[in-house]
Amino acid sequence: MKHCLVVDDSRVVRTVARRIVEDMGFSVGEAGDGANALEICREQLPDAILLDWNMPVMNGLDFLLALRRIDGGDRPIVIFCTNENDPEHIGQAIRAGANEYIMKPFDADIVRSKFGEAGLV
Amino acid sequence: MRILSAASSAKPDWSEDFLNKLAVFISLDWGELGQDRRISGMQDSTFQRISDIALRETGQQLSPSKAYLIEARLATICRRENLTSLDDLVHCLNARPNPRFEAEIGAALTPKITAFFNDKDQTERIVTHGLPERLKASGTGRLRVLCCGVGSGQEAYSLAMRLDEIQEGPLLNAEIDIVGVDVCPTVLSTAETGIYNHFEIQKGLSVQRMMAHFTRLDSGYWQLSETIRNVVTLQKHNLLEAGDALGFFDVILCRNVLPAMSRETQLQVLNSLIAQLLPNALLFVGESETLLGLCDDMQPSRSVRGGYVRGTTAESKDEIAVA
Repeated sequence: MKHCLVVDDSRVVRTVARRIVEDMGFSVGEAGDGANALEICREQLPDAILLDWNMPVMNGLDFLLALRRIDGGDRPIVIFCTNENDPEHIGQAIRAGANEYIMKPFDADIVRSKFGEAGLV
Repeated sequence: MRILSAASSAKPDWSEDFLNKLAVFISLDWGELGQDRRISGMQDSTFQRISDIALRETGQQLSPSKAYLIEARLATICRRENLTSLDDLVHCLNARPNPRFEAEIGAALTPKITAFFNDKDQTERIVTHGLPERLKASGTGRLRVLCCGVGSGQEAYSLAMRLDEIQEGPLLNAEIDIVGVDVCPTVLSTAETGIYNHFEIQKGLSVQRMMAHFTRLDSGYWQLSETIRNVVTLQKHNLLEAGDALGFFDVILCRNVLPAMSRETQLQVLNSLIAQLLPNALLFVGESETLLGLCDDMQPSRSVRGGYVRGTTAESKDEIAVA
């Protein structure tokens, strides 16, 4: 079973995302900010990361840059999932190594579609 | 629901389980009290009248189990006409018969593809095998593709985007025209603008394609580039009518259009489409559909999986010509 880490400071968003991703057959872990997520990734790398942008302590973009530098950190498929929906932010995320990009609000169809585009399902 | 019950945890009885039981209890109660047999909020006679319109106007066979789709597809019309229910809509039609209004309702009831790159694998095979094969056979350097039930444009524009990404091979210098037809003028006008909302733009489209082919408008909507839009010609056309005016095609895509139709209309549509196929041209139905057992005049293509070509015997050709 593939494992997905959901990184978002909103417990509500994590809960909604968890349910959608679990329905696609993934096991799911959660982190409330980028620093927490990085700690988890240093222990064990997930197959996929659903990543918010604006979070306390460490934001999504800084997390992504740090993740891609750790050993094997190029392997997880990272899908941003954020309120930032202008082309500048999207471009910045892709250049930093994001594989896909979900603009909030999202529904199950969007998550499934984007996981498909990223080659996860 | 989990969120709702967590937020109201001070009231222990409002659990998801309890609400479900309550819903079941209420609906049972309503069922016993109700004088009319109702299908998803509309009277039986309303469903029947709308079904008749759908079958006559666009060959759609509506199922009572999909009654919620009828409500969704007619919601815009009801709002515009200030009607609060489908029952009211039918009362209106009965009081003042209006063929043009019925045609509009029939068009609105057709299923619409709302995701980009639906039947993605098949589209890929069409681009890598179907079109190159046709190009070789035609010898003119020009190809024509017909998209039936083009809706708000996603299918036709997906193909156009995919073709735009071609860097090498025989299609690189080919002139490929895509014609998209739909019976519903409302969706065609969306298709013409190439403007999609937040949810539409995120279905079936990779972020790379979104960034390459779309611009974000100040409204938050996304608009497809003029270059891609110009590849596609959009036209209002009812598939139940003859397609002579559309001309002839190398590839016809009739995907996710037939399943909603009655068998009789499926054959009617197929026959008029077959008449517009160039010799040895390819017809595609959706990946989950088949023409086997439906239309003996078409045989699976030997070279492109999922495609169909006209039967090769002279007899069947004559039959098609007559039809």
